[in-house]
Amino acid sequence: MFEYLLASLVEVLRPAYLLPLSIGTLAGMIGGALPGVTITMTIILVLPFTFGFDPLQGLAAMTGVYVGGSAGGLVTASLLGIPGTPSAIATTFDGFPMARKGQPGRAVWLGTWASAIGGLLGAVFLIGATGPLAAFALRFGPWEYFSLFVFALSMVAGLTEASLLKGLLSGALGLVVTVIGSDPIMAVPRLTLGTEFLRSGFQFLPVLIGIFAFAQIMTDLEKMAGGAAPPRVEAPNLAVSHLAVIREILGRPFLLLWSTLIGVWIGVLPAIGGSAANVMAYDQAKKFSKHPERFGTGTPEGIIASESSNNANVGGSLVTIMAFGIPGDAVTAVMLGAMIIHGIQPGPLFISQEPRVAYGIFAAYLLAHPVMLVLQWLGARFYLKIVQVPKSVLIPVVLVLCTVGAYALNNIMENVYVLLIFGVVGYLLVKFRFPLAPLILGVILGDQIEVNLVRALMTDANPWLFLTRPLSGGMLALSVGSVVLALWQHRRQHRRGAAQAGEPDTDF
Amino acid sequence: MISRDGVAGLVCLAGSLGLLVLTRGMPTPALVPIGPAFYPRILFVVTAVLSLALVVTDLARRRRPAVPPARYRLVVLTFAIFTAYVAALPWLGYRVATLLFVAGLQVALEAPRVRWRRSALVALATTLVTYYAFEVYLTVLLPRGRLTGF
Repeated sequence: MFEYLLASLVEVLRPAYLLPLSIGTLAGMIGGALPGVTITMTIILVLPFTFGFDPLQGLAAMTGVYVGGSAGGLVTASLLGIPGTPSAIATTFDGFPMARKGQPGRAVWLGTWASAIGGLLGAVFLIGATGPLAAFALRFGPWEYFSLFVFALSMVAGLTEASLLKGLLSGALGLVVTVIGSDPIMAVPRLTLGTEFLRSGFQFLPVLIGIFAFAQIMTDLEKMAGGAAPPRVEAPNLAVSHLAVIREILGRPFLLLWSTLIGVWIGVLPAIGGSAANVMAYDQAKKFSKHPERFGTGTPEGIIASESSNNANVGGSLVTIMAFGIPGDAVTAVMLGAMIIHGIQPGPLFISQEPRVAYGIFAAYLLAHPVMLVLQWLGARFYLKIVQVPKSVLIPVVLVLCTVGAYALNNIMENVYVLLIFGVVGYLLVKFRFPLAPLILGVILGDQIEVNLVRALMTDANPWLFLTRPLSGGMLALSVGSVVLALWQHRRQHRRGAAQAGEPDTDF
Repeated sequence: MISRDGVAGLVCLAGSLGLLVLTRGMPTPALVPIGPAFYPRILFVVTAVLSLALVVTDLARRRRPAVPPARYRLVVLTFAIFTAYVAALPWLGYRVATLLFVAGLQVALEAPRVRWRRSALVALATTLVTYYAFEVYLTVLLPRGRLTGF
């Protein structure tokens, strides 16, 4: 394993890979700093540029976006009090008060170094756990795969903040999208209404780009007043003693490790991203603190907890995609799509069949952190200026890149029409307060659920095998358990009168 | 009185039942026990049941969630301009359609305080940079216009 990792590190250090990785990290940091542009949106915009690359170059660029984006949000969160991405929300709580107390450099660099250390600890988990988990998944037959995917879907539906029923329905609607077109076993056209357009079904990436890009942009437009000018920003002096900052972080080993573990765990859970990780880690840090009253006033613990967890979350998300082929969040969902475009199928066989790419991703993830530190050092003040780009300029450019991204998949206009259709669908779902995460997971897993269900029943027509095979039965029991637990939590929330009236978070 | 949840449930219920009816025309294979309609039928029944549950839950709910106010003018405008862009791409080609789209959407979003020169420059830069990046560097053959010929 270490020989592979070392060889991959050497390979990714070559300019052919280091350059896409660095550009990806820079794009991630800029996208992360821009309020209203999530990491998902940034990776969608970077995606079409990677089509001409070899798979590892493309995935290195995307890994860079992921790591850079998780760190980029903290600059605007700390200095302006505006989280650039949902994964930096909790950083705002203490980063901004610290900056306002006259310590902007300390706030930014505490977050940056905590991101780097948390991310590297996440990498240890990624590198150590992916192989054994993939080896474990190799024991799965179609019954276990079917049950695993059902478990993933039910868990995501249960974890969404909107109603459980809507979460489940959203996941089911995602599955419905995948049954249109040729069936995956015998290639018989289904529900095509006799049109050529629907015969090959909907490609996953235009669906995802449409849903996320439009849901995000249109929700922003609702809040935008015509011709509103962006805020004028003065970049403060961010000079700081880096050794003192690192000592400040490492002097809180329990906080660092616990926040990292929370980040990794949230990342491993399918379809929940850094937006949940940072808030949960912040909340835990406050609960464990001897001085919880200091949280929200500029305490370093709050920044360390939030930033170490959201970057560790990246490592956890990469584990599930590489070991099971299930995306940990929207960003890895796009990466999964990119892998499939390059002819790579993520899952248990990925690491043994594509060791160069798999270890290349590990190496890219490890190297993205020092690259991120250098880019933060060079450009933190510049990222702050980026918030001055008006939305009226940004939105048309983003929509053009989404269009090109969908079109360039196969050089056909049909993908652009799919983008538009699902853009409308995504926006309507947001307006009807449907969570998007289960829908996307349904679109991704739909074919696999059907293939494994049919394969299992063709191998042995006894449907009870789904329950009597220990692993399969266990996972189905966990599915039921997660739904029951979610039901209980929703009821408890309702009793406390905490039913949400606002719009759901469009971050996957 | 039915709320947005109930409406969504009814739409999903109608869609599920409609699709369920469409599966009746699917062929039954002679050699294998499971045909192409097997999985979709299970799925549409599940979707229909969940949709119905959403409608019933909505009708049974005493307190309706508050609907936050939103301004839809820019949303409708952006959707309309983007739809026009998508429709124009095969006729005008990537370069002309993108130039018009970026300039037009900026003007629509900035009105009434339009910065004409900046809008024109951004439209030109976006068109040229994306065209050269994708067509020349990444060898993606972007749409050619039937009317413009390029």
